[in-house]
Order: sequence, then C-alpha cells, then structure tokens
Amino acid sequence: MPKLVLKFENSILREVPVGAKEVSIGRSPENGIVIDNPAVSHFHARVFNEEGRIMLEDFGSLNGTFVNGQRVKMVTLKAGDSVAIGKHTIVISDSRDLDGFATGNGNEKPVAAAPKLNETVMLDTKARRDFLQKVAAVGESAQVAPARIKVGTLVVRSGRTDHREYTLNDKLTVIGKSALATVKLKGWFAPKAAAQINRRDDQSYYIGAADKTPQVNGHSISQPTKLSSGDIITVAGIELEFVYRD
Amino acid sequence: MELEFGARSDVGCVRENNEDSYRVVPDLNLFVLSDGMGGLECGEVASRMAVDTVVEHCRKGQENPSIPLTGPRIEGVSETTNRLASAIRVANGAVNSAAQQNSTGRPMGATVVVVQFADERMSLAHVGDSRAYRLRGDDFEQLTRDHSFVAEQMRQGRMTAQEADSSKLHNVLIRALGVDPEVEVDASEELVLEGDTVLLCSDGLTRELTDSQIAAVLRETEEADEAAKRLVDLAKQAGGGDNITAIVLRPGEKPVGALGRVGRLGKWIKDSAERHRR
Repeated sequence: MPKLVLKFENSILREVPVGAKEVSIGRSPENGIVIDNPAVSHFHARVFNEEGRIMLEDFGSLNGTFVNGQRVKMVTLKAGDSVAIGKHTIVISDSRDLDGFATGNGNEKPVAAAPKLNETVMLDTKARRDFLQKVAAVGESAQVAPARIKVGTLVVRSGRTDHREYTLNDKLTVIGKSALATVKLKGWFAPKAAAQINRRDDQSYYIGAADKTPQVNGHSISQPTKLSSGDIITVAGIELEFVYRD
Repeated sequence: MELEFGARSDVGCVRENNEDSYRVVPDLNLFVLSDGMGGLECGEVASRMAVDTVVEHCRKGQENPSIPLTGPRIEGVSETTNRLASAIRVANGAVNSAAQQNSTGRPMGATVVVVQFADERMSLAHVGDSRAYRLRGDDFEQLTRDHSFVAEQMRQGRMTAQEADSSKLHNVLIRALGVDPEVEVDASEELVLEGDTVLLCSDGLTRELTDSQIAAVLRETEEADEAAKRLVDLAKQAGGGDNITAIVLRPGEKPVGALGRVGRLGKWIKDSAERHRR
C-alpha cells in the first residue's frame, strides 16, 4: 500500500497509508493529516485511491498545493512525487521498501532469513543506522549525549534538613529519614521516605510520591512529574527549589 | 524487607514454543525475565542463556564483590545496579557468541529485564521491550522504556500511542541481546515502599492487556502468585498471540491472615470515608 510521508525540513513527522479511505489534509483536527500551520487551509486537499491510481485534489486552498514545484488542482500521484503544502512536504512512498525492511523481504540485505508474521525483528548497529536513516529519524544516539549535561540541584528554602543544597548526581534521590535518603529530614515525625526524584536517561528529573504526595508549585502531583528550573517542591514540612546548574 | 513473589510463564495460544524464560532467586532477591527471538529452538536457547548468565554473574558478584564489572561503570547508581548492568553485558556476549555459531542462519537474540532488591532500594536494568511496572497507590507506572522503534518514535513525538499500536513496525527492536558484540544497558534505581507492587513481564502480556487492566488485576488480587496467574490467564483469554510471562513482586510485610485483612479493611474504611467526603 502506498504511503504519504509527511516531512518538515528532512524530518519525517508521520506516515499515513492510502487505502480505500481517502486521506484529507488540512489545519483542522478532523483531517487525516493535520498540519497546524497558518499557511495551510482548514481543509486544504485530499488524497484518494481511484481504481489503483493515487489522486490528489486541492480544495481551492488559499496558498495552494504544489506537486514537484507545480501548483495543481487535481493530479495523479506516483511514487517519489513530492507534494508541498505550506512549509511541509508530503512524499509519496511505495511503502514496500519500508515494510520490506522490517520483514526482511525488501531489496536490502534481509534482516531475518524467513520471519513469520508478527515475529520480533532485531536490528544490529548497521541495520539500525540504515533503518533510522531510511525513516530519517534522529535515532536515539542524538538524544543520549547532549553537548552539555545539566545537573539538577535542590535548594532548601525552609524546613529541617541536613544540608542547604543538594546536587542530584544520582539516578535516584530520596527525600526522607531513611538510610537511603539523600535529602535527610530531621525530626521525630519525619517520614522514612517522603518523596523520590528519578533522573531519567534524557537527563530530565521526575518527582514522584512515596509515603507523602509532594506538591509542585502548590499542586499535589498525581503521577511522576517532570521538574523544570524554578519549580517549588513542598513535602513533609520542607520547601525546596529545583534548579538546573551547568 | 520481606518480599512476596509469584511468577508464571505460558506458551500462549498461537506459538508452538515458549521462548520466554525467567528465574526467581529469593536468596539474592533477584528476579530476571527474558524473551527470546529467532524461532525454532534459537529463541528458547537465547532467553535461557540470558537469564542463567545474569543470575550466575550476580551470584559471583555477591560472593566476591571484587570481580570486575564488564563494560563501563554507570555513574550515579549503586554497586548492585552496576552489577546488574554488567551481568546483562556478559549475557549479551554469551548470546552473541551462540548466535554466531548458530547454523540455522537465523538471527538469535533476547530481551532481558532484571531487578534486585536491597533494603529499600530496587536496582533495575534492561535491554529490549520486556518491561518493569510499579503500582503505587493509584499510580501505575512503566519503569522501563522499550527499546523498540515505535517507542523511540513516540518519545520523539513522531507517533501517537494509537499510531504506534497499529504500526506494522511495532515488532522492530532497536536494542536486543545477542545482536552486536556489545550492548548499551539502561539501568536505574527505585525506592521501595511497603504496599508497592512491581511487575516484570514479556510483551506477550502487554500486547493483550491494557495498562489499566493490568493495574486492576494487581490492585484486586491479594496474593502475588495468584496475580501472576490471573494476568497470564487473562492474556491467554484475550488471544495469547505470543508467549506470556509475568513476575509479580510485593515488597513489605506479607499480610498474614486476619491481621493483613484487618489492615486492608482499615484502608477500605478510610478510602470509603474519603470518597464520602468528596
């Protein structure tokens, strides 16, 4: 089944197969492909399958629809055609190569010799690189090593703790009286573990409830919550400010 | 800290072999699960090799902490957590060697997820799309991130959860044991509280049941063993398209007989009172 591949500046945003059902394109959320950009009309164009031919129709949009640089009203699309709408591009892909890559039936070196339907496919380093390139994804390596790693810090604004400031170097930081706690609470009635903060692999920090439910900027959290610089954490009678330091 | 656990593994309703393996090692508070890949016997061999190697390396490390770690030390986590990551790297090497000697020509590999409890800390390490979840109160959280193509696309905001579910590429792993001579391991640590429930599972469970269904079973089932059994049974009833494995872990004092029930009754009364107030 051919696919519409929505791109913005060489990144693939999404892929939509063109089956029996037509795919509408526009700014309105009801469309099959939504492009949230003022240059795009609410209902801009549609792509549909007519007896095996993939057709594109512009709904008389203000800024137009361009196929390979030509403004069009209604055309037949073929694999490789590039449709420009606003600053976005939609490329028509004969999706066999993408799917074939995953199931080992494509022209590429097969990933698996004879995989059954639904069987998990593993990509090795080279296959992963090729694959990610193929779908123009940034891949995970780009996320892992940011140029500058910022470290979260907790500054104590009020309450009884053993230090005034804590650098969150560990993946797990516990606030409480427990032996495990980094932010040590004092006082008879302090909980063993009031709250916990996890540093995730993308260097972001999430605070979660333990024996107590912490508040972030005055709101009780209902699930682990990502911390931003300047957030005020209130839990077990102490108040902490979270800040990023280089 | 006392730890109650239960584990079940089932071939499911479609596959001929169970390529999942797991080990529970109560004396080390160590729990490991692996989902093998490669078909025929390869997947079974790979997953069994993965769990056995992880347990063996951890046991050696426990007996003699001076045994060097394999691979880079991960900063900001304990020795125990580093040992788990090291064990996974050793397992990767073992599966990778086996895969190269494998005469069927089919790729061979495995996922792995492992946890170890030490006092109030749980060490967690994984590769692939086998998952660890934690139920704490009303919050049911996936503690691992899948090393799959669609999960990566979702993290980058390129796919919605719905698109990921229906994607033909949902079965593509971008990290697995055995594929390359070296593997990057995700490792993290969690605080352990009495009343938490931790679940390790293969994708055969999560493909059939939603997070809220899984959370409901964990919430409503008192015994960890019974919870593991119910999860696997439900996944089979839902189709059982893949092998299904679940390990349910309940840290804290085991609620024994009447005393435990009184505790739960007390909580129920308190919860009801709170519901009433709203």
